[in-house]
Amino acid sequence: MVEFPQSIDDLPTSMPRWVGQPIPRVEDRSLLTGQTEFVDNITLPGMLHCAIVRSPYAHARIKSVDVSAAAKVPGVVAIVTGEDARRETRPIYTAPPGWGGNCLAADKVRFAGEPVAALAATSRYIAEDAAELIEVEYEPLEVVTDAEASVREGAPLLFEERGTNVMYQRKFVWGDVDAAFAAADHVVTERFRWHRVGANPMETFGVVSQWDPIEGTLTCRGSFQVQGFSATGAAATFGIPLNKVRFIAQPHGGSFGGKGGQRGTTITTMLSRKSGGRPVKWIEDRIEYLSAGGGQAWDRHYEASLALTKDGRMTGLRVRLLDDLGGSAEGYGAIGAAKPLASFTGCYTIEAAEYDLTIAATNKLPCSAYRGMGPPPHNMVLEQLVDIAARELRVDPAELRRRNFIPKDAFPYVIPSGNEYDSGDYEATLDAALALADYAGLRARQDEARRDGRLFGIGVVSTIEPGVFNSNVYSLVGFPGGTAQPEGVTLGIDLFGTITARVGFAHEGQGQHTVISQIVADYFGVEPDRVRVVVQDSMNAPPGYGPGGSRLGVAVSAATLGAADRLKDKLIRVAAKLMEANPAEVELMDGKLRIKGTTGAEMPIGQVAATMLTRSDLLPDDMEPNPQATYVWTAPGRTMPDESGRVKSYLTAANACHVVAVEIDRQTGEVRIDKYAIADDCGTRLNPAIVAGMTQGGLAQGVAAALLEEYVYDENGQLLTSTFMDYLLPTIYEVPIPDKTEIVTPSPFTPLGAKGMGEAAIHTAPAAIVSAINDALAPFGLRATETPVTPNRLWKLLQQAKG
Amino acid sequence: MSEAMAARRTVSVTVNGVAHERVIDARLTLVDFLRGELGMTGTHVGCEHGLCGACTVLLDGQAVRSCILLAVQADGAAITTVEGLATGGQLHPIQEAFMEAHGLQCGFCTPGFLMAVTELLEGTPDPTEDEIRDVLGGNLCRCTGYEAILASVKLAAAKLRALRGTVAGDG
Ligand code: FES
Ligand code: FES
Repeated sequence: MVEFPQSIDDLPTSMPRWVGQPIPRVEDRSLLTGQTEFVDNITLPGMLHCAIVRSPYAHARIKSVDVSAAAKVPGVVAIVTGEDARRETRPIYTAPPGWGGNCLAADKVRFAGEPVAALAATSRYIAEDAAELIEVEYEPLEVVTDAEASVREGAPLLFEERGTNVMYQRKFVWGDVDAAFAAADHVVTERFRWHRVGANPMETFGVVSQWDPIEGTLTCRGSFQVQGFSATGAAATFGIPLNKVRFIAQPHGGSFGGKGGQRGTTITTMLSRKSGGRPVKWIEDRIEYLSAGGGQAWDRHYEASLALTKDGRMTGLRVRLLDDLGGSAEGYGAIGAAKPLASFTGCYTIEAAEYDLTIAATNKLPCSAYRGMGPPPHNMVLEQLVDIAARELRVDPAELRRRNFIPKDAFPYVIPSGNEYDSGDYEATLDAALALADYAGLRARQDEARRDGRLFGIGVVSTIEPGVFNSNVYSLVGFPGGTAQPEGVTLGIDLFGTITARVGFAHEGQGQHTVISQIVADYFGVEPDRVRVVVQDSMNAPPGYGPGGSRLGVAVSAATLGAADRLKDKLIRVAAKLMEANPAEVELMDGKLRIKGTTGAEMPIGQVAATMLTRSDLLPDDMEPNPQATYVWTAPGRTMPDESGRVKSYLTAANACHVVAVEIDRQTGEVRIDKYAIADDCGTRLNPAIVAGMTQGGLAQGVAAALLEEYVYDENGQLLTSTFMDYLLPTIYEVPIPDKTEIVTPSPFTPLGAKGMGEAAIHTAPAAIVSAINDALAPFGLRATETPVTPNRLWKLLQQAKG
Repeated sequence: MSEAMAARRTVSVTVNGVAHERVIDARLTLVDFLRGELGMTGTHVGCEHGLCGACTVLLDGQAVRSCILLAVQADGAAITTVEGLATGGQLHPIQEAFMEAHGLQCGFCTPGFLMAVTELLEGTPDPTEDEIRDVLGGNLCRCTGYEAILASVKLAAAKLRALRGTVAGDG
């Protein structure tokens, strides 16, 4: 049995701990000097470059593809089309299943930008020249870009064989919702529209694929978020054994869930095979990313109701969601409609809830995952309902929330949708945020502003930021996987006494290699920068799932501690033999094995490890000469969904309260953020500087989702925001720098008490900003219900006030 | 492809103090020249349309976007890239500041920020927050939300001023 320390204090060191300190990251030297090997830095002998031919139509039948002119261009080595893809590959796995095609379309295209052919040439410049010469003849079909239209009778069908554009329909009911609404004194109802936003890491997807025609093996180097998952997908796509597939995750420039790249990986593999095994590189360009990559998510139509008693107790929640998934289910965007089950009723003791979920196909880019994975829009909806109710009941919005919070002594707490929250003190977080923002002062300023005729509003929003994802909840919409999301670490001590941690995920930005170094440093009494973290490929790494769903900080620290415990046990047994003591009397402290209660008798870990590696004759009988241990952690106590969909999914429930004040310019509809305060509770902070960075990064994306970012399509399914001129990523001018404070309620479910928080503030910020805007608009009886709340939308709304 | 674009040209540049001469396609962008021809892959490509600033390098001391310049336009120039900042295995004070103040997460945008900040602090050793924001506002970072980058630049300015002070004092 592995023993996990329950808190930082339990680590075997008498020195001040590295864990819990904001130490500089071990990843940074290489990044700062431009040495980190991002995928586009790779050049292999004989390497070719891929360019992809994409459909200009959002919906069309492919009549013919003529590659003859392109094939004649000097430097072009291989060309593949939809027919090749159909012959050589299986369709892309989709969730829900059965709503997709192959990596290159053969019969029809379902979104503008869908790949139809590709080629490999000696340079990207030549490849793109030649791609222009591939002639594709299309028969345009009627286009449907609006989910409400696509689910109506008679809409053009994307997948004719399915007879409908409805990809998924299910009504979840938890508790007696009808009774709650029938008995309610107040019911508030509103419709909301959340437009598409998405990940946009600064590095797009890239891959170098190499097929070995002699061995029949495939090696892909790429910016893979989850290399093992991608390798499994490639083996299935090409029908080859998994032990012939090696995926190498390069360090990459962010992901946020939206790296995409399945099609590009398959296409480059086909091209490598066709070119006789030459490596083929494809680096997605930004326009490809925006219009056809993994960067779009959450295109949603909501109608929702909240039931309350006259004293302001929330008793029931109904949410109807029509989720527009786009032209296929290949991007796993549907899991964003399932994750809200992890925190469906937020911070509140709402006992009955209903989720009427429809997922529809339209002729737009298939949606992908994005940081937060679905709850950010859901929280926006729930929190707006709470505000509307507060206004109707004439209760302060902070007060109404307080009345309904799950009390701090009620944890662990199971919510109607089945997830279990680990710990929290939502009132403390609220109070901390209100104090930090000087809430009373803000309300006084609001009174003054209103007297002057200015539009000043305050939002107070508390949410759950679920951590440590589990694909059990995603299985509800057909995502492959069960309840185990393993993460493994191998720790080893070498002949020189230095320690190496071997893991299966590449650097992506969240600093987990630093966290491993901190833990190992405390555990074995070394400096963090003496610990080397080495990334193994998919064939060599212990089982792992990498970053995603706010899991890796918790998962990898648990795996590191598990491996450290196993390694310690080995060292203790060897040291006991060498020191002629009973193993039970030997302990590890400050990097030394010592006999408890005596002074003098001790051996440094390096000496014990070196003895293990060089003197098998001195070891206990059954001991291998291997000072190395592996531990593979997975979240305990996970279950598959029951018949009503209830599921224990995310292991931890971090909590945040954002208080934001905005002022709206009446003339332009522009929103200026006046004040932003955040209090959050993610349990034990393993590296507070990394936590602060995650919070601020998530905040930037949340603020931008509320105010700036939107993928806009015209009625022909053409993307109008296909450059950074039109798709507005926030700059330093648009991102507030908030006051931040913290509450710490350690998780009882994780070693050291940390809660997952990588997605962090994006869960909360959109709701808080929209709340503040609506508070500013309240005196006019107006309400913004469509995001992003752009100046244009707000200005139009304000015209109603002027009437 | 037009004849003019296909034409070959000779380009001579100095990059981080080292002279290079190559015969290249006239249409080759400066960033592809640096990364592909010279193998200096520290300069990154985030958008290839001049908006993100990841590809920022110094051209005769001026911050430029190397994705929207042709290599032939840099003929005869002295270029500084991120690889030219650290010397003798020692991080440049600006790099040190970014490390200490956690001014990077994925680090993909970082070379561009470092070069833009290098230009700023060379001309303006004691910038106001507005002056810093003015420069940072031209580059996109998707990870950090800019807070730690702003702190890094303030720290870098202080470090460089202290160093200059020491040098001046020694002299
Ligand atoms: S890559 Fe040059 S500005 Fe984005
Ligand atoms: S650190 Fe990732 S984009 Fe800036």
